[in-house]
Amino acid sequence: VDYVRSVDYLMYGLICVVLAPPAAVFRTLQWDTDPSALQLQADSELGRRMHRLGASKIVQIDFVPKELVTYTKETQTPSAAHQSEEEEEDEESSELKASPQTDQPEEEGEAEDSKEAHPRELTEEEREQILHSEDFLVFFERSVSVVERALAEEGDIFFDYSGRDLEDKEGDMQGGSNLSFNRVFHDDHWSKHRVVTCLDWSPQYPELMVASYNSNEDAPHEPDGIALVWNMKFKKTTPEYTFHCQSSVMSVGQIVLWDNRSHRRTPVQRTPLSAAAHTHPVYCVNVVGTQNANNLITVSTDGKMCSWSLDMLSQPQESMELVYNKSKPVAVTGMAFPAGDVNNYVVGSEEGMVYSASRHGSKAGIAEMFEGHQGPVTGISCHNAVGTVDFSHLFITSSFDWTVKLWSIKHNKPLYSFEDNADYVYDVSWSPVHPALFASVDGMGRLDLWNLNNDTEVPTASVTIEGACALNRVRWASGGREVAVGDSEGRVWIYDVGELAVPHPEDWSHFARTLVEIRANRGDGEEEGAVELPA
Amino acid sequence: VTVLIHHCILYKKAEVEETLKRIQGQKGVQGIIIVNAEGIPIKTTLDNSSTVQYAGLIHQLVMKARSTVRDIDPQNDLTFLRVRSKKNEIMIAPDKDYFLIVIQNPSD
Repeated sequence: VDYVRSVDYLMYGLICVVLAPPAAVFRTLQWDTDPSALQLQADSELGRRMHRLGASKIVQIDFVPKELVTYTKETQTPSAAHQSEEEEEDEESSELKASPQTDQPEEEGEAEDSKEAHPRELTEEEREQILHSEDFLVFFERSVSVVERALAEEGDIFFDYSGRDLEDKEGDMQGGSNLSFNRVFHDDHWSKHRVVTCLDWSPQYPELMVASYNSNEDAPHEPDGIALVWNMKFKKTTPEYTFHCQSSVMSVGQIVLWDNRSHRRTPVQRTPLSAAAHTHPVYCVNVVGTQNANNLITVSTDGKMCSWSLDMLSQPQESMELVYNKSKPVAVTGMAFPAGDVNNYVVGSEEGMVYSASRHGSKAGIAEMFEGHQGPVTGISCHNAVGTVDFSHLFITSSFDWTVKLWSIKHNKPLYSFEDNADYVYDVSWSPVHPALFASVDGMGRLDLWNLNNDTEVPTASVTIEGACALNRVRWASGGREVAVGDSEGRVWIYDVGELAVPHPEDWSHFARTLVEIRANRGDGEEEGAVELPA
Repeated sequence: VTVLIHHCILYKKAEVEETLKRIQGQKGVQGIIIVNAEGIPIKTTLDNSSTVQYAGLIHQLVMKARSTVRDIDPQNDLTFLRVRSKKNEIMIAPDKDYFLIVIQNPSD
C-alpha cells in the first residue's frame, strides 16, 4: 500500500501526487515501571503455582520490521563482434590485462587505448553527422548549461583561511546599505548594442527573469528582436535561454516563460498580421487572470487593444479601438492593470494623457482622461502591495516631462508630482510588497527609490549607475528585495534593496495618513479644475 | 507587426564551436572533450594523444561510477561526476549517448 503523501495543485492545472511507502513502524514495548505491577502470570502448564517474582531490570526492545532488500544487476553475455556491447567487454578485458602487466603501465595504456579507439575511430563524415544530429544538440545544450554552472560556482574547497591574505571583497556599496549593486547581466553576443525594452520576473521561479531587447543597428543580419532569460541563482554569466524574433521585441510578459516550461521546441507561433490584430508596434503586453483562466492583453501604438487566448493565437478573442470622446485613437505607450482586476486598466499615451478603460461592460473602452503630464508618458504602474488598507486605486506614471506623478483613479488630476529628476524619466514601478515604495529610472542613469512614508520631496535612496547611459526599464523581483534595471546598452543591472524594502505592518496605516496629507496639500489650491470622478 | 510568442533556436554546429570557445576561454579551463558512449572522441580542444588518453580513461571511470550508483540503488543513475585532484578538476556530464568532459584548474 502506498500512502499519498501530498497533493499539490500546481499551475497549469497539473495535479501532482506524491506517493510514499508506509513509514516503517517501530513497535516499542511499553512497560509499566512500577514494580508492583509486575506480576507475571504463569502458564497453565506450570500449574497454579504463583511465584512471587521480584522486579528485574526492564529492557526496552525495539523490533525493527524486516526490510526486504531487493537487488538487481544486469549482466551482459559477451557476444562476438557487436560494437555496442564493447563497453562490457572492455571492462572485463581491461581488468584481465591489469594483473599481468602491472610493471608495464605504458604498454597497458596503449593496449587499452588501441582497444577502445580502434577499430572504430570516427571518420570525419561520421563526426559531422553526429554534430548535426538533434540528439547530440539536445545533449550538448543541456550539458553545457550544467557545466557552466559548475565552472562558475567553483570556490576552492581547500582554501586555507589562516595562511592567506584575504582580499576585501565587499561589494560596491553605492547608495548606502539601502541600495547596493548585486550583479549585471550582459551577453557580448546577443545584448550588445541593443536597448533593453522590457523586463519581467518569473512568477514560478523567483530567480529567473526575462529581458527583451530591440534591434542591433550594428548587425543588420542578426535577429531584430531577442529575449534572454537570466538566472539570478547561479553565478554563471550567460543566459539560460535565448529567443529570437524577426521583429523588434518591444514588450515581454510571462508568455515567454510559459512556453519555456513546456520544454517543447515548438516552431514560431505568431499572431497574424491582419486588420483584426495589430498593425502597429505592440508596446505593451500583459497577462491577466489566474493561471488557469487567463488572457493575453496587447495594446499597440495605433490605439488597438486585443485580448488573446494563449490556446488560439490565430486571431484575437476580442479587440477594440481605444478612442477618447469619439475622436482619434489613443497612441498607447504603457498599460497597467490594478492588482486582481482583469477588466479595468489604465493606459499612458504619447500625448501625455492618461486614460482609464475597461475591457467589458456597458462602458467598454476608454472611460476617463487624466491630465497632468506635459510630455509622452513612458511608464505606468498600479499599486499592488496588499495589506491592511486598500490602495488599489493608486497608480504612478513617468514621463518625458522629467516628473513622476501619483494618481488616484478617482481624481482626474494628479495627487502629487515628484520633481527630483533632471532628465526624461523612463520607467516607474511600485514595490510588490511595500505600500509606500516605488522605483524610478531616468535618462541620466539614475535609479531612485521613493519611500513616501519617509519623504515625498526627494528619493529615499538613489544611485547613479556607473557605466550606464540611459536606464530604460525597472522591475521589482517578486519578493520585493531586488530591482532589475535595463539600460540602453543591453545591460540588465540587478540591485539589492536593503531594509528599506521590507514593509512593516504600520506602513499601511502610515501611508494612508501620508495620502491624507498629500490630498490636504493639494486641496490648498495647487491643482485647479480637479474633478471628483464617479467610482 | 507580429507579437512574439515563442521562438527557440537550437544550437547549430557553428554555435557548438562558439560555445566550446567560450567555455575554453573561461577561467582556468584547460580543455574540453566530447566523447560518445563508446569512448570515442567526437570533439576536442586538446591535442590528439591527450584526447585519446583522457577519453579512454574517463570513459572507464564513468562506467564504473555509473554502475556503482546503480548497484547501490537500481532506480538511481549517475548525473554528474567531478574528480578533484591536486592540480586540477575534471568535470564530466554523462548522458545516455555522449559525455562532455571539461578539465579545469580552479586556481588559475
